[in-house]
Amino acid sequence: MTESGETVVIRTACGIVDGVRCGILAHVRDGVLVKVEPAEFPDPRFRHICARALCSTQLVYHPDRLKYPLKRAGKRGEGKWQRISWDEALDTIASRLTEIRKKNGPESLAWAIEVMAYIRLASALEATMINPIGFGDAAGPCADEITFGTQYGHLYTMDVKNPGMVVLWGANQAETRPYYWRRIRDAKESGAKLVAIDPRFTGSASKADQYISIRPGTDAALALGMMNVIFEKGLHDKAFISQHTVGPLLVRGDNGLFLRERDIAPGDSDNYVIWDTRTKKPRTHVEEGTRPALEGVYRLAGVECRPAFQLLADLAKQYPLKTASAITEMPAKTIEKLATEYATRKPVASYRSMGLQRTFHGDLSWRAVTTLAAISGNINLEGYSEGYRRFLFNGGTMLYGDKFPSPMPLLKAYEAITIGQPYPIKALWLAGHNFMNQDPDNNKVMKELVPHLEFIVVTELFMTDSARYADIVLPTCSFYEHLDLLPPLDILSPYVQLQPKVIEPLYESRPDRDIVNEIGLRMGLPKDFPLSAEQYVERVLSSGHPSMEGITLENLKKGPVEVAPYNITGFNTLSGRIEFYSERMKEYGQELPVFMEPIESTRRPQAKKYPLSYLSTHTKYGNHSFLANIAWLRELDTEPLLEMNSVDAAARGIVDGDMVVAFNDRGMVKLKVKVHEGIRPGVVNINEGWWHHHFAEGSYQELTHATINPAQLAVFEPNSAMYDNLVEVRKAG
Amino acid sequence: MAKRYGLVIDLERCIGCNTCIIACKLENSLEKGSWIRVETIGGSHRDSPKGKYPRVSMHFLPILCMHCDKPPCLDACPLEAIHKRSDGIVMVDEKKCDGCQACLKACPYGALVYDAKKKTVQKCTLCVHRLEKGLEPFCKICCEAEAIYFGDLDDPASSASKMIAARSAATLKPEAGTRPAVRYCPTKQGRIE
Repeated sequence: MTESGETVVIRTACGIVDGVRCGILAHVRDGVLVKVEPAEFPDPRFRHICARALCSTQLVYHPDRLKYPLKRAGKRGEGKWQRISWDEALDTIASRLTEIRKKNGPESLAWAIEVMAYIRLASALEATMINPIGFGDAAGPCADEITFGTQYGHLYTMDVKNPGMVVLWGANQAETRPYYWRRIRDAKESGAKLVAIDPRFTGSASKADQYISIRPGTDAALALGMMNVIFEKGLHDKAFISQHTVGPLLVRGDNGLFLRERDIAPGDSDNYVIWDTRTKKPRTHVEEGTRPALEGVYRLAGVECRPAFQLLADLAKQYPLKTASAITEMPAKTIEKLATEYATRKPVASYRSMGLQRTFHGDLSWRAVTTLAAISGNINLEGYSEGYRRFLFNGGTMLYGDKFPSPMPLLKAYEAITIGQPYPIKALWLAGHNFMNQDPDNNKVMKELVPHLEFIVVTELFMTDSARYADIVLPTCSFYEHLDLLPPLDILSPYVQLQPKVIEPLYESRPDRDIVNEIGLRMGLPKDFPLSAEQYVERVLSSGHPSMEGITLENLKKGPVEVAPYNITGFNTLSGRIEFYSERMKEYGQELPVFMEPIESTRRPQAKKYPLSYLSTHTKYGNHSFLANIAWLRELDTEPLLEMNSVDAAARGIVDGDMVVAFNDRGMVKLKVKVHEGIRPGVVNINEGWWHHHFAEGSYQELTHATINPAQLAVFEPNSAMYDNLVEVRKAG
Repeated sequence: MAKRYGLVIDLERCIGCNTCIIACKLENSLEKGSWIRVETIGGSHRDSPKGKYPRVSMHFLPILCMHCDKPPCLDACPLEAIHKRSDGIVMVDEKKCDGCQACLKACPYGALVYDAKKKTVQKCTLCVHRLEKGLEPFCKICCEAEAIYFGDLDDPASSASKMIAARSAATLKPEAGTRPAVRYCPTKQGRIE
């Protein structure tokens, strides 16, 4: 670094906001980051920056940055710390982890992280990796696993070219993911109708041609109601259904399984069977020249068989407009019009974020919307395959050896920690995962989980709610202070980008990768365990994955490089088709995307005591709990607020600006109320991410539950149902 | 040749993301406050609509110095600390300003900011320091919604002039007679304020 006062501009990529790939030009003067600006890409559409990334200097030079390793000197959470040397910190951690590992087995050490460097350590130690996706993001991928055989199937319904209509299903890209918003805007400016379905009137909804309010968690009933309209009007895409979905495959009436060739002919062929309307005979799905029936009942192998589409149509029939309207609390006319447009303004792009799938049965909401898209032919196979290639990275390159750490769903970790099932977790290492702030049922976390943990390590930039409960806190670097690689991401970015070391690590902070190396060596791992950042990057680039072909560290230093095409054809399901009917979900009564009432909805008995649906949505003013301490953003969004409609406020004698308490059997939170018309009566919302100290009392996650959905557990992993909780609100005394 | 620099802001595009505010703070080293603000045209709160749920509406209105042709702040300043450049940019000379804030009262847009630490008035300069290097205003560069157009309003070929023509971009408070160089493309519903 020069001392001349000259500004050096270094290209990097944003490491602040998850799920985003903005390029950044970092201006450095005398070794100090002084400014950032959006960086160019070969394709100018990808030049973006948001308010959050523009706060980089505030983040890096924040006065509260952790400056050196700390050892707990009082009780957990008491806030008494002793400064220790790195050697002491690393030695202590290594010896404690070794001791716990010896006593309780390797899987008793667990990592819950957003920082990938730790996967290497966890794999080498045969330890547990707690997947953070269970914090609210697991039900959509679970549903897509069922329907498409991939976690990212929703892109089939979203990445649609030149749409005639865009539907935002509980999604608010204008606020939470403005990078997606440009696509939505472009569609709108090209004449697409924009519809927003949401219990909140969001920034995105304010841009819509039509805003539709919905009772939270009833999206599956809406989608089924729409399907019924489409079927009755004959607007479904029969060719698409026949060709790409399980629609024509016959399902046995006795056991709900697909009829196989072996059921009706000698041999052991597991070909699926369809009813050919031309020859009026059963034929296998692989035979050409057939005209498969989508409807009807056929007696084969001694049982009544129906095409899967017929079963779907039978289900949809249970949701005539009157019923769908009664469940969703949407006018019947609105549903009918939306359904008709959905089938006639093709192609329709269905945008979903995670809100739709954050109810207990969110996977079913997700599957129902996907099914609606499939039966109306609103699936873009071509566009999606383009998107898919961008998801890459060979996870194996992150490991030491070839064994992944033992995977543990987040909500299952609660049981592992408290009751030792399926095995005990005794040590927890958090890096970039604010467990004590973000995860559901915060009282349970603090009062039951934390005391059961023998040892807690947190690597962080700040003294977060989680760091406060650690035994050892290690100061880590920001992404400006060490070398890393940023992979491409779905349709948002086809580029691999380098995050070079822009400035030296501040204070005594160290990159996570160094910490991993040091702990590994101290725990007796072989000499080839440590990996420098450069070695790691080289490893990923030379992994042999087709997408990485021709990409080198040298050309990445010059700028972002687009990954090689890696197209997929067909679907990764057992049938190779879109499985809106799923054999394996039969035992849960969910072989079709049925509607199930949210477990804590306003129509449940417990609503007598707690009559308000509680949401904790995401905002443009931060990224989870990460930026809650950034002064520039706090100037704009100064304090947590409970959003409440004027109808609910009046019924409780609450006026705008009052201090209120939101509570249920699990906990409470005390904060100021924002009474306004941007939220549906019967629903309240607190934007997530605020730290405990921002609230007058309690925390927004005290109100949520950590109930496990067994169907999700069987397929993928259970999701936190953050938007499926009942509360009552009263004026604070 | 004299220019008339101005901004055109597309209110149909603006999503109220506040990126312009942070961009302004960063570019002009403003620890507190900003020379651009984003108002919610809706309910009494930021990010809240008017009307009765669910029949509600809201849009966002970024407000900054309008670089008026007839700047009332200039006339109000007793120390002649405010001047209008030949390219149309209205500037405050912080060396001359004694912080009397007469200009704040005179501005119909509330676009001037008093810096209590420096005891002077500040405001948007259209990033004049960037223009001198051939760069555009930083808020324009960073606008996530691509809602800001910059250019010479006297040049019909500039992107700003083209937007004014295409979208009938109008000014805030035309009745004030200030003739602003910041124009707004109305929302689809034809709304500005």
